[in-house]
Amino acid sequence: MPELYVPAQLEDALGFMGEHAGLALPVAGGTDVLIDLRIGRATPKWLVDLSPLEALAGLAFDGETLRIGALTRIRTIELDAEVARRAPAVVEAARVLGSVQIRTMATVGGNICHATPSAEMPPALLVHDAVATVAGPDGERSLSLSELFSGPGKTTLENSELLTAVTLRAPKERSGSCYLRQTVRWSMDLAGVGVAAAVETDGAVVTGARVALCAVAPVPLLVAEAADAVVGTELTTETAVEAAARAAAACSPITDARGTAEYRRQVVAVLVARALRIAWLRATGEWPAGVPAPINGVLSGEGA
Amino acid sequence: MSGLLVGAILRSPHPHARIRSIDISAAEQLPGVHAVVHAGNVEQRPFGYNHDNLPLKGDKVRFIGDELAAVAAIDEETARQALELIRVDYELLPAVFDPFEALDESSPPIHDELPDLEGNVAMRWDFDHGDVAAAEAEAAVIVEGTYSSPQAAPAAIETHVVIAAFDPDGHLTVWSPVHMVFMYRKELADCLGLDWQQITIIQPPVGGSFGGKIDIDPHDFITVMLARKARRPVRLVLSREDEFIGTRTRQPIHFKLRTGADAEGKLLFRDAEIVSDNGAYNGWGSHAMLVAMNTITSMYRVPASRVRCAVTYTNKNYGGSVRGFGNPQATFAVEQQMEELADALGMDPMDVRLRNANQPADVTPQGMEITSCGLTECLQIVREQSGWDERRGKLRERHRGLGAAAYIHVGGGARIYGSDGCGAMVKVDDSGQITLISGSSELGQGSETALAMIVAEEMHVPLEAVHVINSNTDVKPWDVGVHASRTTFVAGNAARMAAADARDQLLETAAELLEAPVDRLRIVDGTVGVVDDPERRMDYARLVRRRLLREQGSVVMATAFYDPPTEMQKEYRGNISAAYGFGAHVAEVEVDPDTGMVRLLNLWTAHDVGRAINPMLCEGQIEGGAAMGIGLALSEELVIFDGRIAAPNLHDYGLPTALDVPRIVVNLVETIDPRGPFGAKGIGEGGIIPPAAAIANAIADATGIRPREYPMRPWKVKGWIDTQERSIVVRNDA
Repeated sequence: MPELYVPAQLEDALGFMGEHAGLALPVAGGTDVLIDLRIGRATPKWLVDLSPLEALAGLAFDGETLRIGALTRIRTIELDAEVARRAPAVVEAARVLGSVQIRTMATVGGNICHATPSAEMPPALLVHDAVATVAGPDGERSLSLSELFSGPGKTTLENSELLTAVTLRAPKERSGSCYLRQTVRWSMDLAGVGVAAAVETDGAVVTGARVALCAVAPVPLLVAEAADAVVGTELTTETAVEAAARAAAACSPITDARGTAEYRRQVVAVLVARALRIAWLRATGEWPAGVPAPINGVLSGEGA
Repeated sequence: MSGLLVGAILRSPHPHARIRSIDISAAEQLPGVHAVVHAGNVEQRPFGYNHDNLPLKGDKVRFIGDELAAVAAIDEETARQALELIRVDYELLPAVFDPFEALDESSPPIHDELPDLEGNVAMRWDFDHGDVAAAEAEAAVIVEGTYSSPQAAPAAIETHVVIAAFDPDGHLTVWSPVHMVFMYRKELADCLGLDWQQITIIQPPVGGSFGGKIDIDPHDFITVMLARKARRPVRLVLSREDEFIGTRTRQPIHFKLRTGADAEGKLLFRDAEIVSDNGAYNGWGSHAMLVAMNTITSMYRVPASRVRCAVTYTNKNYGGSVRGFGNPQATFAVEQQMEELADALGMDPMDVRLRNANQPADVTPQGMEITSCGLTECLQIVREQSGWDERRGKLRERHRGLGAAAYIHVGGGARIYGSDGCGAMVKVDDSGQITLISGSSELGQGSETALAMIVAEEMHVPLEAVHVINSNTDVKPWDVGVHASRTTFVAGNAARMAAADARDQLLETAAELLEAPVDRLRIVDGTVGVVDDPERRMDYARLVRRRLLREQGSVVMATAFYDPPTEMQKEYRGNISAAYGFGAHVAEVEVDPDTGMVRLLNLWTAHDVGRAINPMLCEGQIEGGAAMGIGLALSEELVIFDGRIAAPNLHDYGLPTALDVPRIVVNLVETIDPRGPFGAKGIGEGGIIPPAAAIANAIADATGIRPREYPMRPWKVKGWIDTQERSIVVRNDA
């Protein structure tokens, strides 16, 4: 088992990771790292315990942007009313991630940096134009969140760098977003397909849109051509379906124990249309405030 | 335990390979290693149904996970390193993964050492009753179809753990979660050449089994081999991965079934071709076909039936005896065809079921003598509660549907061995404490409570007065073991007989001391009194002391052995069980036709339990079984690519969560079986049997498509919707 290094502050962690390049693995909530260690997917010499870096945890609103510290727990995001108001897709992604126990430990930074192709948070953050803040030996740098991912389990972070925050742009007046997914089980499952959509409107037509996918490509995908299909239109079934078709064409799913490639592509087309529709209803005020979308956008799931 | 070593097993990474050589020298020399065993340095004899299995394989490995060698070391890390130092030279062989390919004479032989195998067929089970051809000619409606199931796992939360220790005199004690302990002891002795009088099996509390811990596994033998060689006690704990890869599974079964009925919906025949994909060796799983056959021939009244069943060897993990034992698979086929048939006839499926329902005093074509039977009442209850008549077939525009399924299952033991009996001893000591020593085992199913209640009832004492001991073969009388939903029935009858005897011994003493004939004595709360004379009474403790503490005194102790009045089947005919359990479920689902996702909204259940000795335990068994059945239906599967289990972990395996299991409505139907203890019948397996069939029927009602296999994971449902998979009606003259 690796040894544990406990830094007092961010600079200590960055310095240590620089010194032990490639041998030191940062651990936040540990919900991915502990599994990786157990099954031998990760074999670091050192674990760098980020938990003392309390300044990296928490949500900050400045009236404009929403800054989510990398060590913010998924459960904190899930339960935050301000995040729900500004970025419903982010809350919808958070509320289906793992179990309550997992969400209480897992952090947004860990979910991003582990770079699991099926990770829930990245597509929801991507449709809100998330910007990643990265700290390194020479200070901070910012990049678009989509630039952070380079492959399954791989990011563009240097050995001596840490993600410190993601920042979402301020929501426009009439805007909405949504995260939907397909799973085998109705909880505690990984997405076979995950879809986030965001829509802005001037009251008549779509003035801006984003569509992002997870679990259907090596990295979370922001699909610009899908979003473009609805911009300038009233969001109708036809335009949503066109956007969905473009998203399905853009992804590159695989066949594994969680579904076939062909099926996943079909589901992308279904869920993108639904997510855009729900985002539109939110933007136009037709979706009741504070009511989350059904997990896949349609099933009521209520028994007798 | 002083000197306890850690055991670890080297498993085959190849599905089929000849072992050219195995070199353990480096592993033996690693400091901290106390024993390394492999086929070349241990005594072992074949075990299993065809004597086709060895604990440590010497010539060939036949699936990924097959045991090759094992080590005992001072700690896990050393054991792991030692395994890595073992060198095995393999010659890879072509493998067979498809059971239909295994039927072929030309498929690569998996057991070339066994003579007279045709292809890779391990055994065949054929049964004929009545004139199927004549019935077929007469039938107004015939439906046909294929119905398949996957490899599934019992997935108990506690993985297998075994400790083996020899004392200085050579006596072996094994701590094991196995629940057929006396057979386990004999098989250990037979395979390893040990004196079975010198073996004690102790069963600690078990963290769940669901059948996964019935059978003896290679790792059981291996732990004893390691302890013997190391001359130190050895503990072997299977990891979750090893539990999935290396312990017994529910075998996939493929049915091709045809059912015919007359124009009024009366069943005329069933004709089944069954292929069981039983894996690399013949464990208990091969015999799940016996239960599948029972369902084909005996679920409802079926005048003529034909069953052709082949159990095949394939290069995969092999089948064991998971809860329901072949019945969820067979019911998935039989009960879908009941609704397909009814729909073809334009009749209500519940009416067709009721028309053909088994009834008390029926004898089925296989000679199963039904005593009590609440099937009709069970069907009526779930029909009523689910709003079946008003709602089935009318919810499709909301993508919802209702589906039903019923079952028959043994409920009074299952004679698969020379005896289906269980021994019991009841003693009352000088404190008045009552102890039941039962041959049966507790696995968390609550049998200790049920047995104690039976003793308490028979002896007229409060429940807390009865203690149960059932964990040590040195102490407890013989029992076949816990399987086939038999414990409350068989062990319960034995306990009741012993308790009645002990009570009569107390009454005999009381009659003497209270100077009153036994027929004038009454027992209230463990005190014997004379009717109409409240002053003349004595409690059990005092009676025991007065009986004991005198010259030529004696203790109160009774023994009993109950073997159900059943017979071994010959040519698949004979009354295998002293009673049969029945039940019916209705499921309501909502289907997302665009993604194939299915949500189970409601499950109404009614079970004929004979008598609910402990209603809460009965409900627990039914709900737990139903939850497992829901998992089978919708999510559980060991996905296998080229013989390799893709993701041997609890997450990907797909156990249902609380959000996948709706509120389950449980109705206990009491038919008071004439042979059961206080009328009780077995209920351990019933709950798991109908859900997959009921859910498939509900999906059919919601969508019009016909599910062909479970688990009905979303991409399969979507595929059936896309290809418009329909029921196949081969004749409809109705």
